[in-house]
Amino acid sequence: MNLLEVEHVTKRFGGLVAANDVTFSIRESEIGFIVGPNGAGKTTLFNLISGVLHPDSGTIRYQGRDISRIAPNEAARLGIGRTFQVVKPLPNLTVLENVMLGAFLRTSSRAKAAEESRGVLRYLQMERIADSHASGLPLPMLKRLEIARALATKPQLILLDEVMSGLSTAEALALAETLKKLPEWGISAVGGVEHVMQVVMSIADRVVVLDHGTVIAEGTAKEVVHEPRVIEAYLGSKYKELGL
Amino acid sequence: MRRWQLALAAAGFMLSLLLPLVVRSDYHLQVLFRIYLFAALGLAWNLVGGYAGQLSLGHAAYFGAGAYGLALFTRAGVPLWAALVMLMGLAMLFALLIGGVSFRLRGPYFALATIAFAEVLHAAAKNLPSVTGGDVGVPVPALFHTNVNRSFYLCAVLLTAAATAATVVISRSRFGYYLMAIREDQDTALSVGVNAARTKLYALLVSAAFTALAGALYGSLFLFIVPDQVLSIDISNEIAIVAMLGGAGTLAGPMVGAVVLESASEIFKTIFQEAHLLIYGLLLIIVVLFLPEGIMGGIEAILRRRKRQES
Repeated sequence: MNLLEVEHVTKRFGGLVAANDVTFSIRESEIGFIVGPNGAGKTTLFNLISGVLHPDSGTIRYQGRDISRIAPNEAARLGIGRTFQVVKPLPNLTVLENVMLGAFLRTSSRAKAAEESRGVLRYLQMERIADSHASGLPLPMLKRLEIARALATKPQLILLDEVMSGLSTAEALALAETLKKLPEWGISAVGGVEHVMQVVMSIADRVVVLDHGTVIAEGTAKEVVHEPRVIEAYLGSKYKELGL
Repeated sequence: MRRWQLALAAAGFMLSLLLPLVVRSDYHLQVLFRIYLFAALGLAWNLVGGYAGQLSLGHAAYFGAGAYGLALFTRAGVPLWAALVMLMGLAMLFALLIGGVSFRLRGPYFALATIAFAEVLHAAAKNLPSVTGGDVGVPVPALFHTNVNRSFYLCAVLLTAAATAATVVISRSRFGYYLMAIREDQDTALSVGVNAARTKLYALLVSAAFTALAGALYGSLFLFIVPDQVLSIDISNEIAIVAMLGGAGTLAGPMVGAVVLESASEIFKTIFQEAHLLIYGLLLIIVVLFLPEGIMGGIEAILRRRKRQES
């Protein structure tokens, strides 16, 4: 069953068409990736799905329900968690307290929020820094903190906007290994990446390739990399030779 | 907040309650009353301006609602206890009008709306003599008839204690976390399901209720109020400055700010007479330049830096 359905969604900013008739869907317990260079419209799509922006035309369905016009806090309540491309921790709080902010969506008890947050931090291998201040953390940890806060809201769908950018390939692969487990808990994920195709290939069930706001290919990672337009535009001849 | 801090605060309030045993002069009790009154006002302002980071420059609206509310409701024959409840309700209604509209918008709209609303009330109080007595003013019933200065002082201490307790409870609750999250980054707060407009409004309602009680206390001490005294922008500014000087968003900030500002302005008044406003301005400039997070914010930053160097 489809968890998320984006149907003919268009969003314009003045003369710029950031999303042009975009259609794709994500099934339950599936990991999807939106691939495209900087400016392709990935963040716009995430903002549309999470209610920060509303489409000019088209509909977005989540669990069969039209969510095209809801507010971002309502989207979170329905089970759509998200991270931000530009990491936004609350600097004067500890890592644990930052994660608790997410956990408070489902409980008003401090103790329960702290306990759940510790669980999330364990999953992301961050227990060691639970009591450190969020300011001054290195980028890979900040990216994980973004994911931890979103996961603490107990989402069914998590939008990971550029969680891999700025990470080394090894760091990105380590994070991918962790994210692989999400579907086991019934959580679907949609990631957005510029490159690191290696990571996408290793964990994506479905890939949507975006170019200037338009979907130019959709399918499994293997199908997509065979698309001539995709090879040309994004991956270069190197991947063609690999014969994936 | 740790246990020893809580114990320290409790001990401080116990000592404050015993202070009139030592301090007997009416003048000194009045100065102390003013310090505690503004500490309570600063604490109330701090919920919105400090924890939630929403700059209010119109708290005179709630302060005036308290003072005029006590005068007008009791004149209409409402019993005192009911008048106290009603004047808090009136201030909360004003908060609802200001916050309900402007908290939906981003940017400086809330700050502008607070100034505009308070100024409209100020002008209305001046120009509606049939209701408010206009510039002539209106009598306020006395809350105490014996040991007046001591009683008002003790009331101000209790109000400060109540505002402190409310701040402690709020800052440790989910509500408090949400306020801080909104201050730090509203997009992040929304992304974890916080209804930012409503959360800010709740903080403003609590803040308005405390501010109105302080206004009623203030009006009753003077027995007679005029619009310039309780609804002017000077009151709004002084409330905001107390909190910012001491440290917005910190628990001890408003208390520290009230002690420093009110005692400084008392000293300046006797030494410099009319020039004391100038000194007051200079003090502010110094704080903005060298202690942008206020006195307590500055101390906290130093402690944090030291802790980080140790670890």
